[in-house]
Amino acid sequence: MRLVALLTWPYLRRHKLRSALTIAGIIIGVALFVAMHTANRTVMAAFQTTVDRIAGKTELQISAGETGFPEDILEKVQSHPYVRAAAPVIEAVVATGIPGQGNLLVLGVDMTGDQSLRDYDLEGGDEDVVEDPLVFLAQPDSIIVSRVFAGRNRLETGSRLPLETMDGARRFTVRGIMRAGGMVSAYGGNLAVMDVYAAQMVFGRGRMFDRIDLALQEGVGIEEGRKSLERLLGPGYQIETPESRGKHFESISTALSFSINITSVFALLIGIFIIYNSFSTAVTQRRGEIGVLRALGATRGQVLGLFLAESAAAGLIGSVLGVVCGRLMARGMTLFMSGLVEVSYGANQRPDELAAEPWLMALAVGLGVVASVLGGLLPARAAARVDPVRALQKGRTQVMTAGENRLRRRLAAAILAAALGLLVFGRGNAPFYVSYILLVVALVLFTPALALRLARMLRPAWKRLRPVEGVLAADSLIQAPRRTSATVAALMLSLAMAVGFAGIASASRGSMNAWMRGTMNFDLILTTSETLSSQSYRFPPEVAGEVASIEGVAEIQPVRFGRIMLRGRPTMMVAVDVESVARRITFQVVEGDVSRMTRLAREGRGAIVSDTLALIEGLKLGDILEIETPSGPLRIPVVGTTVDYTDQRGTILIDRELYRRWWKDDSLNIVRVYLNPGADRNAARERIQERIGARHRLFVLTGAEMRAYVERVADQWLGMTYMQLAVAVLVAILGIINSLTVSILDRRRELGVLQAVGATRAQIRHTIWMEALSIGVIGLILGLAMGTVLLYYDFYLLRLNIVGLRLDYEFPVGFSLSLIPVILGAAFVAALWPAESAVRASLVEALEYE
Amino acid sequence: MNKPALWLLAAAVAGADDGRRIVEESQRRARTSSQRYEGTLEVFDARGRITAKRWRYERLGSAGDSKAVLRFTQPPEVKDVALLVVNHPDRASDQWMWTPAIQRERRIALQDRSTRFFGTDFSFEDLEERDVDQYDFQLLGEDRIDGALCWKIESRPRKSRSSQYTHTVGWVRKDNYVYLQVEAFRGGELIRRLRWSDLERIQGIWTARTMEVHDARRKSRTVMRLEKLEYNTPLKPEDFTLQTLRRGT
Repeated sequence: MRLVALLTWPYLRRHKLRSALTIAGIIIGVALFVAMHTANRTVMAAFQTTVDRIAGKTELQISAGETGFPEDILEKVQSHPYVRAAAPVIEAVVATGIPGQGNLLVLGVDMTGDQSLRDYDLEGGDEDVVEDPLVFLAQPDSIIVSRVFAGRNRLETGSRLPLETMDGARRFTVRGIMRAGGMVSAYGGNLAVMDVYAAQMVFGRGRMFDRIDLALQEGVGIEEGRKSLERLLGPGYQIETPESRGKHFESISTALSFSINITSVFALLIGIFIIYNSFSTAVTQRRGEIGVLRALGATRGQVLGLFLAESAAAGLIGSVLGVVCGRLMARGMTLFMSGLVEVSYGANQRPDELAAEPWLMALAVGLGVVASVLGGLLPARAAARVDPVRALQKGRTQVMTAGENRLRRRLAAAILAAALGLLVFGRGNAPFYVSYILLVVALVLFTPALALRLARMLRPAWKRLRPVEGVLAADSLIQAPRRTSATVAALMLSLAMAVGFAGIASASRGSMNAWMRGTMNFDLILTTSETLSSQSYRFPPEVAGEVASIEGVAEIQPVRFGRIMLRGRPTMMVAVDVESVARRITFQVVEGDVSRMTRLAREGRGAIVSDTLALIEGLKLGDILEIETPSGPLRIPVVGTTVDYTDQRGTILIDRELYRRWWKDDSLNIVRVYLNPGADRNAARERIQERIGARHRLFVLTGAEMRAYVERVADQWLGMTYMQLAVAVLVAILGIINSLTVSILDRRRELGVLQAVGATRAQIRHTIWMEALSIGVIGLILGLAMGTVLLYYDFYLLRLNIVGLRLDYEFPVGFSLSLIPVILGAAFVAALWPAESAVRASLVEALEYE
Repeated sequence: MNKPALWLLAAAVAGADDGRRIVEESQRRARTSSQRYEGTLEVFDARGRITAKRWRYERLGSAGDSKAVLRFTQPPEVKDVALLVVNHPDRASDQWMWTPAIQRERRIALQDRSTRFFGTDFSFEDLEERDVDQYDFQLLGEDRIDGALCWKIESRPRKSRSSQYTHTVGWVRKDNYVYLQVEAFRGGELIRRLRWSDLERIQGIWTARTMEVHDARRKSRTVMRLEKLEYNTPLKPEDFTLQTLRRGT
């Protein structure tokens, strides 16, 4: 404590701004971590909460992926001796048609039996709707809404509520209002209940149910019941607890979690560098005081402990503030992620309150403190090794010794060699990840030497530009590389990360555009909802025939898609008329012969899988897919691999006839329409709207509109990249302000002398500005160079079984060029305040310095 | 249904040899090959509100081996909603409900039979017929209901899971073997009490034209009146199928 009073406290009081900047670095890192993970957890929890709340007393749920299953299964389940109650369910997220109210989660249930599973706590006077559901069942426009929703929209029993159905907008009659609490709080309170058979009709489900909820007889264990029902129904059905649905959702959204984790790791690394920078500066500035303390008998351990305690304290304060800021940021990020998840995965969730998981907060604080201590470890060790005699000498504080530099370079070279060795000779994922980490470490260790070399290279250019200020700025960097190397390293890392994401984004977009050009060449597409991932509505099969008969229509391709279970994971399956599709689209074949694969698929003797699925599941030509269907297990060989971005986790393409046979499902999600040559697209669209839209919920898009929609969804994902760019810029500004502040303090005497011998304020200002720009330029060059190398790793990483995306290496030239003005502008902005502080400093004080 | 709560009637078939014999005789006297009537239901809830329904009823067969169609005629919102009940002598009946507005039938599952029959004080289970072999009977003694001397018979289902009730106690008039009252219990708790009145001899069969069900827990009661009652009318088996139900005839 005495050491803290002697050394730490006076330093903090003198360097409030730098202390604040150090802590700001931790705040940003921790806040980003907390915000992204809280938002992710909130969206996941909102989905699980919705599942749990509407599950009621349900112990097991029976489903067949997203495809649904024939309703006769219900009777089999209900008559099973282990089953106490089983009730069919249809779930749909429906547009309310009320401005500002968004979507309503409609639960289709069988009111004659569902009360065994769910408690419909209706307001006084409405109980009869449940007790005497005759009118409710007899009138398909009957609906029960939650008190929350009724309150928001001033609905009462008897009110009419407009809802989008497969038959277009229809008005439903509110026959009851459920009291707040329990099930009603699912989906943010936007919950409604209607008859399951009416739901089949209004949402185009045919004679299919989405799932069966059931409760077991007393004394029957969940696992015992599950296994027995599995034996009864066969492998085509998933029989799971409601909690398991959340796990499936997490498994299909791995790309989102992966992206979040990568960003978190980088934010943490950048935080470590900011702390390292600040503490090595602090150690350098306090060498004299450390020397005195050491001369007075303070041990090396005490000095080491002091600096580690300082970094831990900074880490703790920054982390706690970071958690607070992260929670504030999480709200906005949750909205963004919720939209992204709904549009990308079709998952029904509506976050109403942020997830508050103590372990996440504790982890964030823990990581912040650990990062801070790690960042402060080397400076603390340097402080402990301070020689009291040399410490009391002036000068040479920021100069790195030639020996130190050589050691670093050799270490970096050895690590680089190890990284490359692992990359070339390593087998499997683990050596690749280790190689990635080693490469980052090696490049970071090379940074001081590279920064020094670049500063020397900059000197002549700067001299030509500004003979006095340019030279002074370059010399400042050359003479004290330690002062700026950590800032440069942090900038380099953040830019490399941004380049990595931009490269992936650019390549994904390029690849996706090529795929869209080859496959989305239809003239019009008919869908049942705005978000193509939604499974709430489906077309009845006769719609296909009706569209085909419309004037101007040359050919139609009905499509049914939905997630099925493959190897225990939800996987998107697309069922089309393969013959027609093969005639119209260009498959980007990765493996297999196009004519053979389409022939076999058309004959129902093979499935074409997307490259992504092949990479994730390790599928090869000829491998047998075992797909669980309502008619039993379908064993079908992989006959081809193509590029297909329909779903993030990959797709299985089969013939629709095969699907109909095994799933006994005729319904459709979309209909692709090709017009006769020369046919007027708008006129055809109007005719379709008139003929089909009059009776069914319908959205007709042109091919271009569809492609634009897909691009918009992709852009939402790219929004993550822009967030990372924002972090990179923030880090750049923080780091540069930190470095410049130190630089000015270090050179107060030098700057004072300059002013005393006639240097103008403008010249001092320009010197600081140019120093900042130098850091920016060096950071940019190294960042882009590192990004170029890491991008290779990033593309390789995508191919691994986590993401399964095979993209060709593509450097994001445009994005990288746009970074130049952004980073240089940020460097200039960062220099403004330090420069003003330098020119306004007292000349007398500056000359008295040291 | 000559007694709307035929299950309760059957369940009340008396215990031991005497009990069983009395119940068998009661069933024999009430047995007809078919039945048709128009019924009116009035439900009086605990708050004094009254709701009413009307329907047409037809039954072919009897005593645990019959088929019945019940088609609602009032109120207008539920007109033509129909219920097909297929009773089996050895197991629970199958029931389907037809909803004309969506042109769909739904099966009402066994597990749901303890729920109330569309807001009345009957449960779906109360509408079933059961064979006397499904119950154990015990003659408890004699008692008077409305001045008439009755046998008092307890019945218990042999398969405990097949009924929501643990046991029932029935009062059968000694002079004409007609049920006047049944009390249904779960454990020691009285769940429902049914009373028959307005006895009339129709086509040689003693028939109660009014039945009242009292739900002890809800403190509500349902009064059912039978009109235009006919026995042994010529009905066709094909009129008691899901296809006929869908046709709405």
